[in-house]
Parts: sequence; structure tokens; C-alpha cells
Amino acid sequence: MDKLRERAAALLADGTVALVIGYEEGTNKPRPLFCHTAEDAGKLIYDSRCINNLAVYLTKKELMGTEKVAITATIPVLRSILQLSVENQLNEEKILVITVTEQGELKEFAGFAEIESYIADFQLKLSGKEQEIIEKLEGMTREERFEFWMKELSHCFKCYACRAACPLCYCTKCIVEENRPQWINPWAAPLANIEWHINRAMHMAGRCIGCGACGDACPLGIPIQLLTRKMMEDLGPEFGFVPGQPSKNGNALSTWKADDKENFIR
Amino acid sequence: MNTTNSEFEPKIVAFVCNWCTYAGADLTGTSRLKYATNVKIVRFPCTGRIDFMLLLRAFAQGADGIIVSGCHPNDCHYTSGNFHARRRWITFRGLLDFMGIDVKRIQYSWVSAAEGAKWADVVNSTVANIRELGPYTEYKKVAEYLDKEDYNG
Amino acid sequence: MSKIGVFICHCGENISATVDCERVAQELAKVEGVECAIDYKYMCSDPGQTIIKDAIREHHLDGVVVGACSPRMHEPTFRRACAEAGLNPYLCEIANLREHCSWVHEKGDATTNKAIDLVKMLVEKVKRNKPLESIKVPITKKALVIGGGIAGIQASLDIANAGHQVILVEKDPSIGGHMSQLSETFPTLDCSQCILTPRMVEVAQHPNITLYTYAELESLEGFIGNFTAKIRLKAKSVDYKKCTGCGACMQKCPQKKIPSEFNAGLGTRTAIYVPFPQAVPNKPVIDREHCNYYKRGKCKLCETACPTGAIEWDKEDEILTEQVGAIVVTTGFNVKGTDFFPEYGYGKYKDVITGLQFERLASASGPTFGEIRRPSDGTIPKKIVFIACAGSRDPAKGIPYCSKICCMYTAKHAMLYQHKVHDGESTVFYMDIRAGGKNYEEFVRRAIEEDHVNYVRGRVARVYEKDGKLIVKGVDTLLSGEQVEIEADMVVLATAGVANCGAEVLAQKMHISYDPYHFFAEAHPKLKPVETNTAGIFLAGACQAPKDIPETVGMASGAAVKVAGLFSNNELVREPLIAVVNRMPPPVFSTCVGCFMCQTACPYNAIEREEIKGRDGKVIKTVAKVNPGLCQGCGTCVAFCRSKSIDIQGYSNEQVFAEVMSLLNQ
Repeated sequence: MDKLRERAAALLADGTVALVIGYEEGTNKPRPLFCHTAEDAGKLIYDSRCINNLAVYLTKKELMGTEKVAITATIPVLRSILQLSVENQLNEEKILVITVTEQGELKEFAGFAEIESYIADFQLKLSGKEQEIIEKLEGMTREERFEFWMKELSHCFKCYACRAACPLCYCTKCIVEENRPQWINPWAAPLANIEWHINRAMHMAGRCIGCGACGDACPLGIPIQLLTRKMMEDLGPEFGFVPGQPSKNGNALSTWKADDKENFIR
Repeated sequence: MNTTNSEFEPKIVAFVCNWCTYAGADLTGTSRLKYATNVKIVRFPCTGRIDFMLLLRAFAQGADGIIVSGCHPNDCHYTSGNFHARRRWITFRGLLDFMGIDVKRIQYSWVSAAEGAKWADVVNSTVANIRELGPYTEYKKVAEYLDKEDYNG
Repeated sequence: MSKIGVFICHCGENISATVDCERVAQELAKVEGVECAIDYKYMCSDPGQTIIKDAIREHHLDGVVVGACSPRMHEPTFRRACAEAGLNPYLCEIANLREHCSWVHEKGDATTNKAIDLVKMLVEKVKRNKPLESIKVPITKKALVIGGGIAGIQASLDIANAGHQVILVEKDPSIGGHMSQLSETFPTLDCSQCILTPRMVEVAQHPNITLYTYAELESLEGFIGNFTAKIRLKAKSVDYKKCTGCGACMQKCPQKKIPSEFNAGLGTRTAIYVPFPQAVPNKPVIDREHCNYYKRGKCKLCETACPTGAIEWDKEDEILTEQVGAIVVTTGFNVKGTDFFPEYGYGKYKDVITGLQFERLASASGPTFGEIRRPSDGTIPKKIVFIACAGSRDPAKGIPYCSKICCMYTAKHAMLYQHKVHDGESTVFYMDIRAGGKNYEEFVRRAIEEDHVNYVRGRVARVYEKDGKLIVKGVDTLLSGEQVEIEADMVVLATAGVANCGAEVLAQKMHISYDPYHFFAEAHPKLKPVETNTAGIFLAGACQAPKDIPETVGMASGAAVKVAGLFSNNELVREPLIAVVNRMPPPVFSTCVGCFMCQTACPYNAIEREEIKGRDGKVIKTVAKVNPGLCQGCGTCVAFCRSKSIDIQGYSNEQVFAEVMSLLNQ
């Protein structure tokens, strides 16, 4: 941690970067920290409790000026950076990516290509709790599954914290703000809620990197990350993509194969 | 609920591409083959154009069943629109099923401009199938929630 | 508030027999925004169209829905009528009451109700239609022909004779292609070069044709009417302005053992070479791979021999940029080599040759001056076996298709052999004889009946060498069903015709599609055989699939007519039913966030990047932009776009959404 603080302070002091995005100690858990000066860097922390996906800030105009920005990146952040770069949202020259390896070493990436080989060693896994819910759902009848999701989603009051937390929800104008036509009913009610969540899942299909930030952000604890995660688990392998490893050759939905398998089109 | 009702006339919307299925349905007409009046066709340039949101909208508006139909693989007027559509439907279907939405109510098919008889068959079998499944009350109930308060968990 | 006119056609009795057209009109008149609703016996007739036109003028309609037959039938008719009455034609929609309603249902309320619903749906759509103008694209009236075989020659000459400029690009040092390698041609047995070389000369001398030999397409950008082609002129190492084509250099060149491509490996050539005596242009290039100077830095004998000082040692490849309006791809095919056949010795027996090699043996300009001699020892083979379908129609070899030309050229080869070796004995092993074509079947019969070629139906299992003879083992599946074993002096394999090596790379450069065998794909197998899926790029000849000379020439002329037809206008008029990325006032400029997922979805590479710049010239954001020349209006991008920033005219989100809502609200 000292090494990280020292390095961040040095980067800020010599003007290599204008901003370091990292974590600091919060009230109950770590929270994002934006260091503009070398002194700020002293507050930086980095451990397993740091779960916010900081990549969400890399597409914010307010933060990403003309100066270079450094980011302390956990594995999900690294995955997000790759996916964002595939989607033309990042300027590689303006971002310095730093991570702390499992051995506690500080690692600075020369470019995004290096990130790709680095994260190839990390497999994406569902948490035990997530696995449990999925298994429970798979054991249900269709009607029970419907009941489950209706119960869960009926609580949703459309605060859009899930959207705000997701680094890949970066559209200037989200479809829920679209009113010609009004694709999704704007109010918070079961139908309008499932419309929103199906949309979110479909828009994340093939793009979700499985950080779980949406579920963590949900103030009602609805396991919405499963909607995007499940699709990724199912589709990635079927279409030849490794979940959590963004590929320059497009993603599951933006590509196709002549021999894609299905069993429902007659 | 969900029982066979001979009086029940399902509402079915068909989303079809202009070049294959729309033309195939034209051929059904020119061949004077008969099918049920329950299905109404909305014309799209290509299956690749069909937004999944339109399917959700259709259910929300009270459709009991949906047909999505386009060119056979490799026959797409636009080369690959139907291949993109196929991936979209594989994905969408998986998601709906995971959420417990009744995927049996969406019939996907490939009907070429030469398959007038197949179109009649797709329509008739879908109508029979939806009749069997009954009205999609489950979804309608959710859609009508603003008036009733069934799901206040 | 909309003013929509609804016009219901009885279509004689075709619609009115099962649909109560009067009631449809009455019901529609009640719909909000419908100004008038009229039913009439024949809407498409002159009086019918007049009803529509009068209503447009009288009621100042801003939309028209005609309930009639399929839009695939009369949409243009009714749109024209609207335009004549001063209404934008794209504000007219057709409800399909005949094919999709009256003809497929019984008479009754349900049918009439469905008809009402269908018309209402289109009313809701047309309320959201926008007046559209057809797209006009300027055309550069210059064609690029890629490949200088007979297809490219024919296409170039036809386009040039129609008065347009043509750039012909050939990768080899001479034009002529495979046809220049052939001895005689079926079914007339006239000499291939005698009919081809005058055309080659015509190409070289035509004032409208610019010929680039030893050149390849480097890259292609743009769209129909407006392509930018980069052409790589490979370094010939000889200045053609100075070279007189005297040939002194070739005589001096010490590298004499290079297998000649023109002679299909049966003859040799030098490192500085003209591929064949009638080459166009008849000037040499240096093959740097084999030249002593380029390999070892010493030699330059050709330079000392050259009387005009034409050798250019330091010449480098040049990239030429050309603007063209259309492209004809005529890159031809190739044949599999004998090394493709383990059962016939993997190419290790010198006297097992391909059909193309036999052409060179039989050609008067070939390595044996037209005498059929064995490549191994130069003796005249007394027994010769031809094997048809060598590789073709063999899924196990990955070539399930018929190469089409082999039946005919094998009959020709056997015939030529019998004409040249009177005491010789020839046997053809075949699977089926496919001699479809004018005078083709007669030609094969002549080989069998007059020239006594022995045709055996059956496949050859093995060819192996024993005591200097080639043992051909096969089965006669037609007559005896027994094993046949022939001791042959020479075996000719009619090897499968395959796509040229690198065909898929070229296809990718041009964004045209190709089949699993890398032959280029036509836009429609029946009705668009010379078009590709990329507008403005046409195909001719064997690059599309194996085909013979008459078919190739016909296809080349067909492609040339398509080009000439395109060039007969100054502007290309296209339907405006294409995708458009939204633009809005600052600070958003466009809701497009530039993820470019639409780029991967687009089958036509029609999505480009556009930088939106501020007054200071700085890039504010990079967004997608649809090239109206390339977009064909499939709308795949529209369904892809998460932020709904891209929409398609004529099938816009608002329109289709309204249709769905209308259908189910009833």
C-alpha cells in the first residue's frame, strides 16, 4: 500500500498525471478517492474490500479532461477498461493503469494489450450466493421463476443506481429517457420494471464483464446482476467468447456464425 | 386460467421480413390457402431490424402469441441480417426463459418467398398452440398492475 | 392533426367477396386523423387513381393509405399517383387486404374486422411517415476491371466500346489468362490463341482502356459510383518506355531453369521473361525471386545485353490511386495440382499430369510444339488414361461441386490425342458425362464414335508405377462391374477447378462475399448472377464458379452492360429507405456515443466515423455516420443501437412502434 501511495504521489508531483482515481477508507467500507495532489495520495488504500468498479469514472467528461489520468485497477476494473476500449470509449494515451498483483507488487501497464494478457489468467467466477440463487431458479418451474422475478422486481423503484454503477452504461441518452416512441414505461411498476431490466440485460448481452457492480449498487438488494451474468455464462461459450475477457473481434451479439446452434426456429 | 377455451380467440402479431416471409405470405394468398384470421402481419425490411422491445411491447399490449419470421439462413436479402437476428433471438429467448416469461408463446420460423404453404402451416399451428396455452393472463396481470395491487411483496 | 385519406379497393371481387369493403371504409372514417375514406371497385385503374388524386387536392391530405393488393404489386403505382397530385410519394402506404386477408380467409365478420385492423395499423404508421427525397449519388464514369483473362478482356472491351474509360489490372506480366494456355477449344476445335490474341491486342490499343499489367488491387474504399481504388504496380525492373521488346535480355539471362508458369511447369523460362511469345504487352519483367542480381548482388548480364538501357534495378512498387464508378471482378480460377491426390501418387509420378498441363503439351506453342510427349522421357505415350472428376464431386476431398468444364475438355483431350497419335489408345474414366451446351453432347459422341475413345464409367482407385508403366486400377461400374487395370504410359487428371489462391483476401478488400470454396458470391443465384451484394461491384467468369469460355464471355458482356447502364446516368437515384444517425443541437450533437457496434452489424460497411468538431477545430466527439451510397436499408444497426441513435427511414422506430400499438389496442 505504501508503494502505491508513493508511486501515486510521485506521478502527481512530477505532473505525469493530473488525477489518480483510487480508493480511500469510508465510513463502513472503502469508497472512491480522487487524488489531485500528492498529499491526497496518502489516503489511498487497496485491498479486497475495494469493490466499486472505478472504471465507471473513465467515461465521465468531468474527470477526463486533456490531462492524463491514473487509475488503480482491480481485476473487474481491468476487464471493464478492455471492454470500454473495444467500444472506442477510452483514449489509451490518456490513461495510466496501475494494479497491485496477488503478490502485492505494483504493476503499471504499458498499454491495454498488456492488460489483455494479464487478465487471461483470472477466471470469472460466480459467488457462492449467486450460484445458489441460479441453482434455485433452475430447479423451479417456469411459473415459479416468473413469480420469483416479479416479487424481486416489484420492489424496484427505478433509482437507476444499477445504471450509474455500471461502467458499460455510458450512453449520453439512455433508452429509458427515449420518448419518441416511449419504449419503456417510465413509472416504477412491475411491468415497467421488467421492461427496464430486460432491456438492461439485453443491452449488456455479450458486453457484461461480470463485476457485479449493478447488484452491489441496488439499494433493495435485488440480484439483478444475475440477469446479465447468466446470459454471459450461457452465451459466451456458445458463441466462442470467454466470459470476462473482452475481445477485439466484437462480442457475442455483434458477430455471428453461419452454424450458430438453436433448436427453436422451425 | 391457462385452460383450453374454444371461445378464446388469441391475438397474434407476426413480425416478418419483407423479402422472404412477407412474400411467402403473399404466395399463400395467391395460392388461396386458408389460415386463421388471428394473425396480423407487421412488415419489416429484414429480421435484423426487429427490435426485441417490440416483442415485449406486443405482450404488454395484450398479445397472446408472437410470430417472428424471416429468410432461411444464407437466403437473407441483406446477406447476414437473419444471422444477426438469430443470435439476438437465442439470447433473448434464454433471458426470457431465465426470467420465467413464457417463451412458448413466441414462434420463430424461416419462411421463404416460395413457401406459401409453410406460412399457412406456421400460422395455423401457432394459433392452435396459443389456443391450447390460453390467454397470456400472467403477463396481462403484470401489465394491469397500475390498477390492482397484486405484487406489493 | 393529420389528414389521412383511406382508399379501399374491391379488386373486382377479389377483396370484396370476403371483406365488406364498404364497412371497412365506414369504420376507418371514424378513426382520428382520417379525413376521408372511400371504397371503389378498382383503385389501381385510371378512374381509381383519379379518386385518390382528387381527394389529395380537395382535402389537402398529408397521408394516404390504400387498402388493396400486396404492396409488392402496386406500391409504386399508388406512390406515383400521390406524387402526381403533389403529395410526397413516401407518405403513401399500402394495407395488404388481398394476399394477407381476403384470399386467405373465409367471408365473415372476422375477416372484415381483420381488414379494418390492417388499414388502421397503416393509418397509424402513415401519421408518422416523413416526406423523403430519393437519394442522388454522382457517378464517376470510369470502370475498374480486375483480371485480364478472357472475362476481363471481354468486359473491358465492351465497356470501352460503350464509350467509357476502363482501367484493366492484371497481376501477371501479360493479359490472356487461362485461355491463352489452351490448345484448341471445344466444341469446335479452333485454336484458342488464334481467337484470343486479336482481342488482347485490341485491349492494348483501345483508346479507352488503360492497361496495368503486373499490378494488383491494394485497397478499395467508397461505394457505387464513387470508389477509390489503390493499385499496386509491382516493380517490373524494366522501363517499358525504353524497352522495345527485342528479347536480347532473355537470351543472355543465365537463369534458364525456372519452371514456366505459362507452361504449367512443363517448360522453363528465364528470370527476365515474357511469359509467352504473344504476350500483351510483349515486354519482359524481372522475376526478382529468381534473378541472380537480386539474390546475390551480381550478374546484370541483361543490362549489358539491353540496347536501350531499359533495365531499372532500383525500381520500387508504386501505388496508384484511381477514382472509379464501378468494378468488374474477373480474377478467374485455378486447378488443383496432381499433388492433391495421394491415391495417384501425390504428384511424384512425372507422367501423371493435370488437364492444364495436357493443354500445354497439345499446344503448338507449348514445350513440345504440340507433340504429345511424356514429361519423364519425351517418348510418345501409346496408351493414355484420362481421369475425370479428379477431386470434383468428392465431398471427402472437400470439393462437393462439379467443376463443369472437365467432361468437355477431357473429351477434347482424348480427341486431340487420337488426332496426333494415330496408333494410340485412350481411355476415359468418368462418373457421369455432363455435356450440357450447344453442340456439346455431339462433341462427346464424336470422341467416342469417330475417334474411338474408350469411355469407362467408374472411378479410379489407384495409380502406381510398375516397370516404367503407370498401372491404373479402377472399376467398370456400368457394364461388367469388374476391376479394370490399364497399363498406361501417361495419365491425365481432370483436376477440380478451384478458387484462385488469395481470392478471399481480395473479396475482403472489396467487401464482397464469397462461398465456402472462396468463389465470389453473386447477389442472387438466378436473377442477379453478375451483381455482388456490394452495389457497383460486378462479377464475370470463373471467379464466381467454374465455367467455360462461352459462358464466361456471356457473363462478362452481361457485367459490362450493367456497368454501361449505370454509367448512362450522371446521377444514381436510390430509394431513401436507409438508416440515419441522429444529429442534434449542442451540447449533445448526437445521442450516438460512438461504440460502433453498428459497424460490426452492418453487412455493407456503410457505417463510417465522423468527428464532430467545435469552432476551435477540436474534436468534441466521434460518432457514427451512415454512408447513403452504401446503405441498403436492412435496419440491423437500428435494432442494435442501445441508445436508439440510429433509425431507418420508412421503418422508423416511431412507425413500427405505432403499428404494434395500433394492432393490439383494438
